[in-house]
Amino acid sequence: MDSRTRVVVTGLGTVTSIGIGREAFWRHLLEGRSGIGPVESFDTSRYQVHLGGEVKAFRAEGFVRRLDPASMGRASQLAIAAARLAVADAGIGLDAIDPVRAGVSIGTTSGEPEWIERFDDMELGGQRDRIGAEFLNRYPCHVLAANVASELGFRGVNLVIPTACAAGNYALAHALDTIRSGEADVMLAGGSDAFSRITYTGFARLGAIAPERCQPFDRRRRGMIPGEGAAVLVLEPLTRALERGARVYAELAGYGLSCDATHMTAPQGDGAVRAMQTAMRDAGLTPDRIDYVSAHGTGTTANDRVETIAVKQAFGAAAAGVPISSIKSMLGHTMGAASAIEAAACALAVWDDHIPPTINLEEADPECDLDYVPGVARAVPVESAMNNAYAFGGNNASVIFRKCRTPAP
Amino acid sequence: MTGVVITGVGAICALGDKPPDIHRALCEARAGFGAGTVFSEQAGSYRAAEVRAFAPRDYLGPRNLRPLDRTGQLAAVAAELALADGGWTPGQREGREIGLVLGTTFCSARTIGEFDRRAMREGPEYASPLDFANTVINAAAGQVAIWHRLRGVNSTISTGGASGLHAVGYAAQLIRAGRETALIAGGAEELCFESYLGFLRAGVLCDPAEGGPAEGPRPFDVRRNGCVLGEGAGFLVLEAEEAAAARGARVIGRIAGFGAAYDSRQAMERADGANALTYAIERALATSATTEIGAVMASASGSPVLDAREATAIREALGARRRRVPVTTIKGHLGEAQGASGALQTIMMLASLQSRRLPPIGGLQQPDAHFDLDFVTGAPRPLEAACGLVTSLAREGNCCALVVAGPTG
Repeated sequence: MDSRTRVVVTGLGTVTSIGIGREAFWRHLLEGRSGIGPVESFDTSRYQVHLGGEVKAFRAEGFVRRLDPASMGRASQLAIAAARLAVADAGIGLDAIDPVRAGVSIGTTSGEPEWIERFDDMELGGQRDRIGAEFLNRYPCHVLAANVASELGFRGVNLVIPTACAAGNYALAHALDTIRSGEADVMLAGGSDAFSRITYTGFARLGAIAPERCQPFDRRRRGMIPGEGAAVLVLEPLTRALERGARVYAELAGYGLSCDATHMTAPQGDGAVRAMQTAMRDAGLTPDRIDYVSAHGTGTTANDRVETIAVKQAFGAAAAGVPISSIKSMLGHTMGAASAIEAAACALAVWDDHIPPTINLEEADPECDLDYVPGVARAVPVESAMNNAYAFGGNNASVIFRKCRTPAP
Repeated sequence: MTGVVITGVGAICALGDKPPDIHRALCEARAGFGAGTVFSEQAGSYRAAEVRAFAPRDYLGPRNLRPLDRTGQLAAVAAELALADGGWTPGQREGREIGLVLGTTFCSARTIGEFDRRAMREGPEYASPLDFANTVINAAAGQVAIWHRLRGVNSTISTGGASGLHAVGYAAQLIRAGRETALIAGGAEELCFESYLGFLRAGVLCDPAEGGPAEGPRPFDVRRNGCVLGEGAGFLVLEAEEAAAARGARVIGRIAGFGAAYDSRQAMERADGANALTYAIERALATSATTEIGAVMASASGSPVLDAREATAIREALGARRRRVPVTTIKGHLGEAQGASGALQTIMMLASLQSRRLPPIGGLQQPDAHFDLDFVTGAPRPLEAACGLVTSLAREGNCCALVVAGPTG
């Protein structure tokens, strides 16, 4: 293996508010279905806002089989479900993998927040004595990858990359280099976050949560809507995928990571431009050869305006012609899972030659004047797709997928 | 492939803020344990290797420290010390895109817990927007990037107790892959009430009871019965060999090899059986140009199961060579500093190679005969070697190993 090793996506597992499993997810994404509804995970009566993107249909018991579902938090359960779906989708027999050559790289924002929320409830309720071993055993975020690997029997490199709302892309970037370095034959890379009271409280306090709808790039947009979910992508070298006759969704062609190093929460744009430029250089693609951009597109006034400026700077003259959409309009912002779910959407866009829409985008914003694929999905050839994600901490990550053209055997 | 050189180190822990001084204290068998103060108002007396009288302004100057919590401050201080040691002036930091990879288990469970408890106690409208920015697990990495203007790759790695070493290994991989030419890599962890209570209730600490008398940890000893918590931060400046030469940097060591693997949570409950750390060590040695390691800096902290698993892995991986390779650990003096530990271990291995002395294991009186390794006890051991092995094992099963060479390696 070396730095030129081609790495491809051969399996997709998605657990989202609009569908569990690749087919339902993709069908509903192209239909423009919304997964937003009243929050049920906790009582929002003291909040000014009440909507969220929860995966209400999720039942852990169908996926968490070797481990006890009750022994872990919801983000681990979601991650395990996405991992099992991805491995099944890839058609990889677990006994056909050398366990120490199979790794797991998972991104997250909050890890397993329910366990620190329970800690806090007991502490506030004068019940400190009831705080037990479960806090240490279930709360620290690295348990997400640990639980996935323990469930599947993977013994290769295993880590969580908690780079907040760009974490899924960071996990993909790590996995790409890990395969190229020769450290692993197969990597499960993705992201997972469970609906979190702490996250909801913070965004509500910032006034960043939309009261009715998430409307990325719309002139009347009023914010993001917190969500939850997970996605895992199966990555392996192209040669290995061809040998086993695997279905190849897309090639993971390159990435760019950067840091604004200016402000913890306010996007600056220059770091986003550098991440996009680095990713295009890494993939060997010029802006005019990018056929789709999956936007970070949270629906906040600042993000969508700054992201639009950044795309214009990074793409130059090609910016006006490239379709850009935000599936957060349908799913809300699933935090550390978001860029993993969006990466799955990019891989599917490249594979299926369809672009999912930005729903709820009705009134153009003069400051957001690019092609955001409003309302309706689009059937167009998609040779390559860029997935953008930006996070607290000033972390920026762009990942590029392209159609896998292989030489005739 | 690009060589990865070490051009600076910075550390802050209970035994000081200068690696040669910390190393001397370890060689003189001085322990950093004492009555903790950072959360004594909340939880009464406890014993820990705390960074006492921590004065971040002494290192960071008069700028506003309020946005940084304790983890962020410890990390920013260690980063400043590492950059200064590496000869990076503020002007040079502006001129180059320096990256950051930070290992941590919790980042700040205190910030997250206090943010949530305040909102639950007073109402969500009283949540602190400033603290919300620090509830993400990459907050310390973001704050350090802002403080030191680090605009390159900004990643956070969570693998529990192995986080710090894993971060160094990942940073080396980023340089080898040509992603960056200069990165600071290491880890940070603060002592706080939340994580302390977690470790206590999980039965991991050697204190016999809350507030009771404590004897201190005994790594690799037959009577070992748990760890004492520590805290701190450590960073290494890693650079591509050519880039370091081009700026005339002083080279104090190099990262020669790295390997990571994972054992399931089920396997981690037993001292015997399959051992992924064996594979990680073999991988680190196989990827290293030199396999003539002269010492092992283990992560053993006094845990009955983890110390046994680590000893087994070192014995299996080194085979007959173990007779010539002494094994030590810093946690008998510095405690379990979680995400910071692996970075501190690496920095102390480097100091040992430089000073040609290997510090003894604190608290080790009667080595467990089953381990059959040459432990350093009582007094420091002369060390005539160019390379050392650093190992790290987390209780959730994550493990990694790093081959580090000194200035002559």
